[in-house]
Amino acid sequence: MTGFAQGLLNALQRDTHLIMPQLFLMVVATLMLWPGDLFFNRAEKHKWAPITLVILAVTAFLVTRVPEGEGFSRMFRMDGLTRGFQLLCILASAGTVLLSVRLLDSLKQQTVEYYALILFSLSGMLFLCGASDLISVYFSIELMAICIYILVAYLRDRATSVEAGMKYFLLGAFSSGILVYGISLIYGAAGGVTTNLADLNQLLALTPTTSNLLVYSGVLMVLVGMAFKVAAVPFHMWSPDAYEGAPTPITAFMATAPKAAALAAFLRVFGAGFHGVSSDWVMPLTYIAGASMILGNVAAVKQESMKRLLAYSSIAHVGYMLLGVLSGDPKAGAQAVWLYMLIYIVMNTGAFAVVIYLQGKGEGERIEDFRGLGKKRPVLAFAMMVFLLSLAGIPPLVGFFGKFYLFKLAIEQGFVTLTVIALLTSAVSAYYYLGVVKEMYFKEPEGEAIPMGAAQAFIVGVACVLVLVGTAFGPWLLKWAGEIFWI
Amino acid sequence: MFTANTTLMLVATFLPLLGALVLLLVPKDQRRVFEIGSLIIMIASLLLSLPFWFGYDRASDAVQWAGSWTWIPALGARFAVGMDGISLLLWLLTTFIGPIAIACSFKSIEERHKEYYLWMLVLQTAMLGVFITQDMFLFYLFWEVMLVPMYFLIGIWGGPQKLYAAIKLFLYTLAGSVLMLVAILAIYFLQHKTTGGYDFSLASFQAMAPIIAQQSKSYQHLMALAFFIGFAIKVPMFPFHTWLPDAHVQAPTAGSVILAAILLKMGTYGFVRFLLPILPGATKDLMPWFLTLALIGIIYGALVAMIQKDMKKLVAYSSVSHLGLCMLGLFALNPYGIKGGLFQMLNHGISTSGLFLAVGIVYERRHTRMIADFGGLSKTMPVYATIFMIMTMSSIGLPLLNGFIGEGVILMGAFQAFPWAAMVATLGIILGAAYMLWMFQRVMFGPITAVNEKMEDLNLREILYFAPLVAAAFWIGLNPTPIMDVMDAPVRKLVTQVNPDFYKAESLAAKQAAAAKLGMRGMSAPAHHGEAPAAHGAAPAGHEAEPAGHGAPAPEAHGHGGGK
Repeated sequence: MTGFAQGLLNALQRDTHLIMPQLFLMVVATLMLWPGDLFFNRAEKHKWAPITLVILAVTAFLVTRVPEGEGFSRMFRMDGLTRGFQLLCILASAGTVLLSVRLLDSLKQQTVEYYALILFSLSGMLFLCGASDLISVYFSIELMAICIYILVAYLRDRATSVEAGMKYFLLGAFSSGILVYGISLIYGAAGGVTTNLADLNQLLALTPTTSNLLVYSGVLMVLVGMAFKVAAVPFHMWSPDAYEGAPTPITAFMATAPKAAALAAFLRVFGAGFHGVSSDWVMPLTYIAGASMILGNVAAVKQESMKRLLAYSSIAHVGYMLLGVLSGDPKAGAQAVWLYMLIYIVMNTGAFAVVIYLQGKGEGERIEDFRGLGKKRPVLAFAMMVFLLSLAGIPPLVGFFGKFYLFKLAIEQGFVTLTVIALLTSAVSAYYYLGVVKEMYFKEPEGEAIPMGAAQAFIVGVACVLVLVGTAFGPWLLKWAGEIFWI
Repeated sequence: MFTANTTLMLVATFLPLLGALVLLLVPKDQRRVFEIGSLIIMIASLLLSLPFWFGYDRASDAVQWAGSWTWIPALGARFAVGMDGISLLLWLLTTFIGPIAIACSFKSIEERHKEYYLWMLVLQTAMLGVFITQDMFLFYLFWEVMLVPMYFLIGIWGGPQKLYAAIKLFLYTLAGSVLMLVAILAIYFLQHKTTGGYDFSLASFQAMAPIIAQQSKSYQHLMALAFFIGFAIKVPMFPFHTWLPDAHVQAPTAGSVILAAILLKMGTYGFVRFLLPILPGATKDLMPWFLTLALIGIIYGALVAMIQKDMKKLVAYSSVSHLGLCMLGLFALNPYGIKGGLFQMLNHGISTSGLFLAVGIVYERRHTRMIADFGGLSKTMPVYATIFMIMTMSSIGLPLLNGFIGEGVILMGAFQAFPWAAMVATLGIILGAAYMLWMFQRVMFGPITAVNEKMEDLNLREILYFAPLVAAAFWIGLNPTPIMDVMDAPVRKLVTQVNPDFYKAESLAAKQAAAAKLGMRGMSAPAHHGEAPAAHGAAPAGHEAEPAGHGAPAPEAHGHGGGK
């Protein structure tokens, strides 16, 4: 017994540095709840936003300092993939915090818990990015998701918010069940000795043919569970409702940070763990990716709510990114997905900033609320147009660059039909994105413009410049993407 | 200082964009500043582009004023620019049309001036960029950027159905260009497989032609179709033309002018620059289909134009017909056909712009474009009637005017390659004369109504922006040689790339003609009109020594011809 305890202590001493950022987040977020909350009275709660930003900056710094390595019985691994996606999650969280300030102020809903939950959820994401064992994948997902369930239902006096939280929770719990069941099947099929991804990769290839069905159903169930988490068709039904009901900054959050983390896990589980049995999952995942692009883009056309439109468009974007997961070359796939996710976070956060600005006077939910924005706020409308065209993948905006890199990879890997679907559906997406542009520029405005918060203006400005000139800095983007590697 | 070089080319290309950025700072109620400012910028760009006409080395088929800068080395994408004769002509056409498009908007644009002129300037840079780029990635960038300003020009300042027309234009072209992107990427990876490197340069893509020719037929055909659809939508060829009448009718006059004069040329330019040299084999395989579509376009466009009641729609459908003729010339794959096709692209740019401007004039005055609303205008608007007549004649190909030369040369080329197709095309030209003259007659002659009697003739500004078009129509019509000379070397290179048998057969025919001359003095049969059936390449004299000088380079060696 003492031997075990001694071993545990040794492991902690040896490996703790790998999870410094997560530990830091958890400790700080706990301290924020108590005693931190006592320092600010009700009117001063908005001060938590800058503090959270500082915490995020420190976390990002820690992430860059963590050395590469593996630890905790090989449950967590720090490598280029982990670091790259962790930084994406932090970036997306920072964007969310900036977006939240003014909206929560106007709703008089500033609390410390809101920011603490974001940080807790972020720590789950940071774990998930580096999870190299099916068990750690599972508990990281839960840590991340449970915090988001609460955040979705944050506006608890609004029926839509509560409904969205409830729906998200039920379907999330359901999908977790499927995921766990899949994990248990794979554990059994591999001989009941390990859930480590690298080991599984070898063991699954050696399983006797009699347990083929076991492996197949296990892999498929893990696929379904993960597809739920990234909201890929046909496991996407929760997402439009959850997006619509959630407070808008949280919608922006859900569209970016957890997706980045879940895609990192997707890449690692399927690229590293199930690479040997890729024949089991490539075909279903191809259909999932294709269906996500088609349904996401086609369903978005009919939407009248801006948040639902962005929800469906994010389903489509996940479809594109699954092309990278499908890649037979996991490293190149991870790089392309990372690059796309980075660009997607920038343009999506920018677009949400404009939506939240319009919500300042109770609008922004409907697409027609954008009417005449080009006359009322020309600069803002221009920025929104840039984000939308970039989401549609019109060059020279940076969204085109991300798509180009991803589709280039997909063609190289031989997914030509799927790429043609991706390209044609992205032409469809131009229709609904331009629908918003049309409202902004071709319709007459109603009512007066309202002033814009500094944080929102900052996000819109920075994101707009990045999206405009990003392609010119392609070499840097590719260099960063080149850092996404495996050990 | 103003000698033609790479820097000046980039300055002329990006000047409108820079101008737009400067005008961005001007407050939006300064209507005059935007009008005059953008006109000055466009004229400056035009003046800067003139030295290239004189500085172009007509003897060389290489890309001139080439410049290339590292951009995204990991992808092999470079910021590579340069022009050969074909690009040069279209580039000059663009700088030439730019000031006219601005000048014709002064009165017709009545709201949101700032945005309008800024979009016009951005559009100009995007279009100029397409013609100078020598890199596929950069090309695709410019190609797509063009759509956004056009979308706004139609969507904000267009007619009653503007939203529908704008989105239709956008989606149609976007769908075509994404297919093209797939083909570009597929060839890019094929190239990576064969050479090991990543390279987006146009020269390297054209050098891929022999390797693509070794791929399976279905691969080649799919690539060719992807390019074909991308460009055919832009041209537009039947049956991809349906966006064009909507876009033209709804667009403001300047939008129609630019659409007709330059945007449509992007499609034909794409065929010349990409489909033909990169996929010659597949193009020839699919030629019956392509040819059929071009011919249907010629006849269908003409027939539909004939029944139009709206003048603008009539001119729009006439574009479908005329562009079909251009395509017929290009598909002949011999020097006459290609030269004629390119030449006709310029002519169409001039005459159709003129017609759209003319329609715009009456629309500004009467706010209707219905033919039935007019009649007898020649009595009250003599200057207008004269200019309208010149443009009509130019469009139907009257001798002394530019259209005649283009149509003539196209038909010469087409007769060499596909005699029956040339005959069908002739029918289209006859129909073209019919609908144009009929429209002219209904608008200009006959009894005049009281409302039309009050219409004012052209004012000075209007005469000034028509003048360059009229001058160009006459100048090209009377003296087409300089333009033909500019195209000569690049077209020769293109034909050797696409149809290497042609020059073998031609050199044989030339020898026979020379022999005939020796035998019978005074009987100088034109060499090209010998039997020399280019398309079939029948009996190329296998071991005839290639004549030096203008001789066709051996087909194997053409790959890096323009690489330089």
